[in-house]
Amino acid sequence: MTKPAPRGSPLVVSDASSDTQVVARILGGDGEAFGIIIRRYEPGLLRYATRMLGSVDAAADAVAESLVRAYRHLAQCRDPEHLKSWLYRITGNRCRSHIGRRHTGDVSLDDAPPVPDPSDTWGALERGEQVALVERALAVLQPEKREAFVLKHVEGMSYEEMAEVTGARIPTLKMRVHRAREALLEALKELV
Amino acid sequence: MTLIDSRLQETLDGERDPATLPAELRDAYARLVSAADLLRHPPAISVADRVMAEIRAVPPSAGRRVAGWLARPRAITLRLRPVWTLAVAAALTAVILLPGGQSVVPGAEEGIAQFVGHFPGARSVEVVGSFNDWRRGALSLSDEDHDGIWHGAVVLPTGQHEYMFVVDGERWVADPLAGRYVDDGFGVGGQNAMLVVRP
Repeated sequence: MTKPAPRGSPLVVSDASSDTQVVARILGGDGEAFGIIIRRYEPGLLRYATRMLGSVDAAADAVAESLVRAYRHLAQCRDPEHLKSWLYRITGNRCRSHIGRRHTGDVSLDDAPPVPDPSDTWGALERGEQVALVERALAVLQPEKREAFVLKHVEGMSYEEMAEVTGARIPTLKMRVHRAREALLEALKELV
Repeated sequence: MTLIDSRLQETLDGERDPATLPAELRDAYARLVSAADLLRHPPAISVADRVMAEIRAVPPSAGRRVAGWLARPRAITLRLRPVWTLAVAAALTAVILLPGGQSVVPGAEEGIAQFVGHFPGARSVEVVGSFNDWRRGALSLSDEDHDGIWHGAVVLPTGQHEYMFVVDGERWVADPLAGRYVDDGFGVGGQNAMLVVRP
């Protein structure tokens, strides 16, 4: 498939419009309508990229580049009903590229608070300290497992959606999620 | 690495009621659920302004600037099909001559595609194709003397490109004299026209 279907775009789109309607409007020449797409998916994309890269700044760069790229190649989104998966896929590719440039699967955790005193128990930690610990535990995971855990349990995707995002088969993704849980539990035990 | 009990995996996959978990697995379950919850808050930043500014600031491409020049009458050297009177063709030029003898020469790996179509009565004609991501508004043809012959040009990388005319913003027309066509991939027998740009 190469070109968008030659159908007219709606005259007006809003935050209540479907992805398909908004995409048709953008492809019809209304670039400002892309703001609706940004408002709709930016929080999740930033969260996903931040968990993958361990740095809010790096995540912001990755998401901004991904959204601009998505806008420029919007006509190649074969199924606008699955726009969310397409955007996550582009962002995931940017994150993998970023990780590859660092020549390591480790995340940087530039923005993570310091690790609390190991003598503290989990229940005694402040929420911010708990977040920092979980981020550090997540950073220990290999990128594929990290991505699997984040997509499944943080972004709340089904395995079918994860397959669209990653291009991996569902049995493979299930195995990655299972292994990611085990690795994360192990890392948390070591930290607390 | 410690393997997690399959009952815990099933519970986390939503296939088992957490209340049925044995007591020794509940702490691990709570730990993983809590971890996911802690990671769920998005960072308090936004790239919306940055993205929209970049989208709005995209400068016209070299191709669009050339097309703008060509929309005004001037001497050009074209390699056109012999059926100009039918006026539906996409041909290539190696050099475009501007007034005063100034020439626009594409780069070594580029050529200029000249699009010409005969659409009497049309209000607008655009060219969309693989070279502009099938995006409308990127290459509009012009018909200054209102004779129904619409034309425009764009600098393209050498190689094969698929394209279609979009007439009045809604009617997609494959160039009937393109000579080469490829399946459009929609599975209903449609075809895209194809042109080959040579340096």
